[in-house]
Amino acid sequence: MASAHADSEHAEHAGHGDHPPYLAHHFDTPEQQFDSAKLGMWVFIVTEILMFGGLFVAYLIYKGQEPAIFIEAHNRLDWKMGSVNTIVLLFSSLTAALAVRSSQLGKKNETTMWLTITILCALAFLGIKYVEYSHKFHDGLLPGRFFTAHLPEHAHNGHVLPQRASMFFALYFMMTGLHGLHVVIGMSILGWVLVRNHRGQFSPEYFTPVEIGALYWHLVDLVWIYLFPLVYLVG
Amino acid sequence: MATEVAGAHGHDEPDHLAPYLSPEAGRGIKGWLLTLDHKRIGLMYLVSTLLAFFMGGVFALLVRLELFAPGRTIMSAEYYNRAFTLHGAIMVFLFIIPAVPGALGNFVLPIMLGTKDVAFPRLNLLSFYVYLFGATFALYSIISGSVDTGWTFYTPYSTTSNTSVVSMVLGAFILGFSSILTGLNFIVTIHKLRAPGLHWKRLPLFVWGTYATSIIQVLATPVLAITLLLLAAERTFGLGIFDPALGGDPILFQHFFWFYSHPAVYIMIVPGMAVASELFATFSRRAIFGYFAIAMSSLGLALVGFLVWGHHMYTSGQSEFATTLFAALTMLVAIPSGVKVFNWTATLYKGSIVLTTPMLYALSFLILFTIGGLTGLFVGALSVDIHLHDTYFVVAHFHYVMMGGTVMAFVGGILYWWPKMTGKLYDESLAKKGWFFVFVGFNTTFLIQFIMGSKGMPRRYYDYLPQFETYHKISTVGSWLLLVGFLLTAWALIKSIRSGEKSPPNPWGSAGFEWQGTESPPVMQNFRVTPTITRGPYDYHLCSDEELFDGFPEDAEK
Amino acid sequence: MSDHAHAHDDGKVHAHVSSFFFLCAIFTALIGLTVITVAASRFDFGSANTIIAVLIATVKATLVATFFMHLKYDKGFHALIFIMSFVFLGVMLGLSSEDVDSRGRVDTSSTVRILERRGEQAPGGFVPDPRGVQAREHPTSGASQPAHH
Repeated sequence: MASAHADSEHAEHAGHGDHPPYLAHHFDTPEQQFDSAKLGMWVFIVTEILMFGGLFVAYLIYKGQEPAIFIEAHNRLDWKMGSVNTIVLLFSSLTAALAVRSSQLGKKNETTMWLTITILCALAFLGIKYVEYSHKFHDGLLPGRFFTAHLPEHAHNGHVLPQRASMFFALYFMMTGLHGLHVVIGMSILGWVLVRNHRGQFSPEYFTPVEIGALYWHLVDLVWIYLFPLVYLVG
Repeated sequence: MATEVAGAHGHDEPDHLAPYLSPEAGRGIKGWLLTLDHKRIGLMYLVSTLLAFFMGGVFALLVRLELFAPGRTIMSAEYYNRAFTLHGAIMVFLFIIPAVPGALGNFVLPIMLGTKDVAFPRLNLLSFYVYLFGATFALYSIISGSVDTGWTFYTPYSTTSNTSVVSMVLGAFILGFSSILTGLNFIVTIHKLRAPGLHWKRLPLFVWGTYATSIIQVLATPVLAITLLLLAAERTFGLGIFDPALGGDPILFQHFFWFYSHPAVYIMIVPGMAVASELFATFSRRAIFGYFAIAMSSLGLALVGFLVWGHHMYTSGQSEFATTLFAALTMLVAIPSGVKVFNWTATLYKGSIVLTTPMLYALSFLILFTIGGLTGLFVGALSVDIHLHDTYFVVAHFHYVMMGGTVMAFVGGILYWWPKMTGKLYDESLAKKGWFFVFVGFNTTFLIQFIMGSKGMPRRYYDYLPQFETYHKISTVGSWLLLVGFLLTAWALIKSIRSGEKSPPNPWGSAGFEWQGTESPPVMQNFRVTPTITRGPYDYHLCSDEELFDGFPEDAEK
Repeated sequence: MSDHAHAHDDGKVHAHVSSFFFLCAIFTALIGLTVITVAASRFDFGSANTIIAVLIATVKATLVATFFMHLKYDKGFHALIFIMSFVFLGVMLGLSSEDVDSRGRVDTSSTVRILERRGEQAPGGFVPDPRGVQAREHPTSGASQPAHH
């Protein structure tokens, strides 16, 4: 600022004749805006990882305290449905990445297709989750004081779970519930990106929302990549 | 973002070069509530956090008044528990965490960086509304039965207390998101929007401090979010994660809570340090001593702050091994804090010190923070803490750091940047009287609490033994002096708005970037000409007289 | 503004475009790893179960982050903050579980504090018996109060 007035080449009005409509007034170049959006998203991803991380820490600590009960309780989860959901989410991650790719290449219809498939996968994930949840509700496999799987009427193959298995289901519902909420949020974001894509607002020069939406969707996938083996497979 | 403001319309509209407070820059209530301008959002934050400070202060005065005499003085024990809880919760979540970053940071940071706005202006406005939304929850909790758990919400009491815990916890949860959004915005702004020539080694120390704060906000706050969510779920659905009867561990709640809340005390103090660094440089008229060391010690505090949370849990049933480990790690915190204090002192040495009101606050900050920091070593030492834990010694230590540190720096910062924010000068002699009462009142209130605590007076108690009566009386009188001090300061500011003289662009003769090349108050886009930085923010030897004394012809002649 | 000016001067967005088949190949690898982790969970490796699951998950997460999320072609700083989030998570897990693991509980049969998992006698501890240390040396004689308040 020492030379603020002397340096006229950085003057406000210079070089802004080609300011494209998508470029906000406080950015100088599209690249600066793109980089800022991406950095912001990565910082946001960090916060999400730490938020889910708290639940994972609680899960691992309680699992370490009661390993036998956790293993017994996790056998009541349906690992087959979990695996199918894993494949659905991984596939949706692929289509999200492909949506970014076609958007980068300016192929609007292809982008629409990949985004639609991604959203349909998210719906499928939630559908399978719903089936899983209703089985758990039916069997009394619920958290805390709603847990009834230790009662004789909920005996599974002739034996019941100990009451302390309620901790496993408390964590199971918190983790999958919060993840499910993120699936819904991610779906809404991708839906909004889909609408904007349909309006033709994206081009090889400006595809930031597609990129950011896809990053969020990959985050949802990342959480599941850890959640699935830890909760469904090793208990 | 912000295409509505400028974008396609180009930059020729006179609006965006109008002073940001003028009607041309945005008319009426809509021009404020829907503004994307960081300066207006900063001012809205300033007003809201000061209101929260006032509310928290009223509860503090009520608590002190109740303790004026043993037994019942003005309220029942039940209401006393609520009063100290609300004092803590409001001061922590509604005032001290958002105060410096939200109010001063939002206003000053983009100007210091030589940019027109923060990276995500809409997110910035959103963070303010999220703050208001969270504050609404907190207010709802206060009127619907209030909270009596202490601001720490420890389980199992917080899961069984019949007060309105869930709404307060959800309020804090929502306020956390506001904090995250502000931190995220600042990180991106500092990385991507610096003016040409403003490389990392030229960043003002306020920016470095805000950067460190933002890192903590982003890394720690999500853990608070999940902890409070679990607590709310525990109360609502009987989740059992912190309930021993269901295999849960209440101490794990404390781990989770302090994993956020210890770094959170650095969210509170590091911005205070950041403001103080600016004040010391400006009012000593010299380059800050150990620029790099101060900048790095902010980052050091941010990182070390994550390793020491267990020192809040020495007596809570944590394992002996863990307490020993945390006690050892805690001593690390002294290093970056010490680096800062020594460098500030060295900055003062042989500086041309000007004792303006902001500088008086900065010097108070230095003294009081040093006392607060050193007593922190007492309570951080495992063996000593077993005696001092949960006594008034801890209360005094905490207030010396938070109030003697952050609040002093915050008030100093408000006064320092006031002419830039409002374009008006304030009455120095009135503000100095205010400072005197604040300083004396603060020490009267809290110094005595160190003695009281070391003699064994427990914190949060409604009643006390006769031998503590004199101490409590002195402390309560101190709280009244503090009130007088803050009222005088508030009056000085109100008077300035109503009838203050117009401020020149650089009333303090500072070399800081925010005073150069901007008007007082700044125009909507901060600069008429995008600045190019050719020197550091404290390079007084590279400044011309015109730069330092613009608008003070009589000074420039000297 | 200082960060972005080094590579391209035109200020336009230059992002890497991955090839279709490459992305599909990554997807195939992810499915393969899912099959491996499910198969591995059918065998019991004892305490290594969790470690194996986390390792495979980390490989998968790395693939997603590196290629689907473009970290490989992105600024190094983004990868740094991504990794840092796991480092801080590790700090949280490490220091919390270090407490939980070394915390003693009262064994009701012998009335001494023992470490839950290893069955060893816990160090230190508040023993309400006035004979203090002695009480711990003679397990049957003292320390009947639950130490887990």
